[in-house]
Amino acid sequence: MAGGGFDAPEVAQGKGSKHKKKGAGVRIDMTPMVDVIMLLLTFFMLTTTLSAPQLMKVSLPKGDVKDKVKVDMGNVLYVRVSDKGNVYFAQGRSDGSESEMKKVDIKNVSSELEKIYAVNNNLLLLLKFDRKMKYNVMSDVFDEISRAKIERRYAFLKMEDADLQKIMAAGG
Amino acid sequence: MKKVRDIRKPNITIDMTPMVDVIMLLLTFFMLTATFKAAESEAVEVALPQSIYSDPDNKMKETDVMTLSLTKEGDIFVDVDNYKIREKIFGDQFALGLYHPDSTSQSTVMQTGKVGEKEIKRKVVVMNKAQFEKALVDLKNSLRGMTGNKQAAFQVVVKGDKDVPYGVFEDLMTSLHESDNKIFSLVTMIKSDSKKE
Repeated sequence: MAGGGFDAPEVAQGKGSKHKKKGAGVRIDMTPMVDVIMLLLTFFMLTTTLSAPQLMKVSLPKGDVKDKVKVDMGNVLYVRVSDKGNVYFAQGRSDGSESEMKKVDIKNVSSELEKIYAVNNNLLLLLKFDRKMKYNVMSDVFDEISRAKIERRYAFLKMEDADLQKIMAAGG
Repeated sequence: MKKVRDIRKPNITIDMTPMVDVIMLLLTFFMLTATFKAAESEAVEVALPQSIYSDPDNKMKETDVMTLSLTKEGDIFVDVDNYKIREKIFGDQFALGLYHPDSTSQSTVMQTGKVGEKEIKRKVVVMNKAQFEKALVDLKNSLRGMTGNKQAAFQVVVKGDKDVPYGVFEDLMTSLHESDNKIFSLVTMIKSDSKKE
């Protein structure tokens, strides 16, 4: 290895010239450091969980479970979801009746909500989910509601037999 | 000519500096973003649903978290991240609370000792509705007693399996309401919005 690691000495000025001549050829072997860093990198890459879980906040109404809250039935929107995961909207009327149920594709829930809220900004969503429905349908519906640019007011209600019959009549 | 080449070959050195630089950057990145999960918090594994909406103001707290896991089989597991409180309420530092809201069926966890495919290594305390609600209240009270802060509360997070029937969640909501935990969060995995692309 004659002169293998030595660079040609550069033209140096002044006092330090002698020192520089010697120092110029010193090479630090980085291989062990790279090895260690590689190991560390692999370790951290394998142990990290990059997809951090997301949180969706749910607020239940204040007061006791048995508390009755009076709402204007003309200002409610029923959101019923069948056990198959079909979403139906129906708007309430002041006399307690409601409009015809309209089937909404789950992917369009947020845009449909925005359309309805453009007419009436003061709606309360009454969510009625079938108990046999899968949890991820609920989280999808809730996701859509959260993404709609509306003032969110909602309440979870129990699915009654009357609701089930309405859903059956509308195609399940 | 050939001889000259043979002598030169061993002298070729690859400059590793740029590679080391990049690796160093990657290492720093992963070291800073790493969040280590305690092995015990993985006692119950559920397949989380996906969601698009992300709330930048609502992040998982580092401490004082109450996790309610809903498994596919319809069991609700309650766990807190403070072992002292666990010991006080469940009688064991590593115990988990279990509530099976469906009265028509029985939880299979106690017979098989398994949640899904995975064996459960921690002690499980089975509770009925009244005991479950009492435990939820007691957990909160013992946190307040321990910290001396009367306003202290757990961040309640619900980890529901995507295939669990909604009824289990409905029963959980009733119990949360009864035990005055009116604000909670659903844990989901982030999904990119395919509709807007």
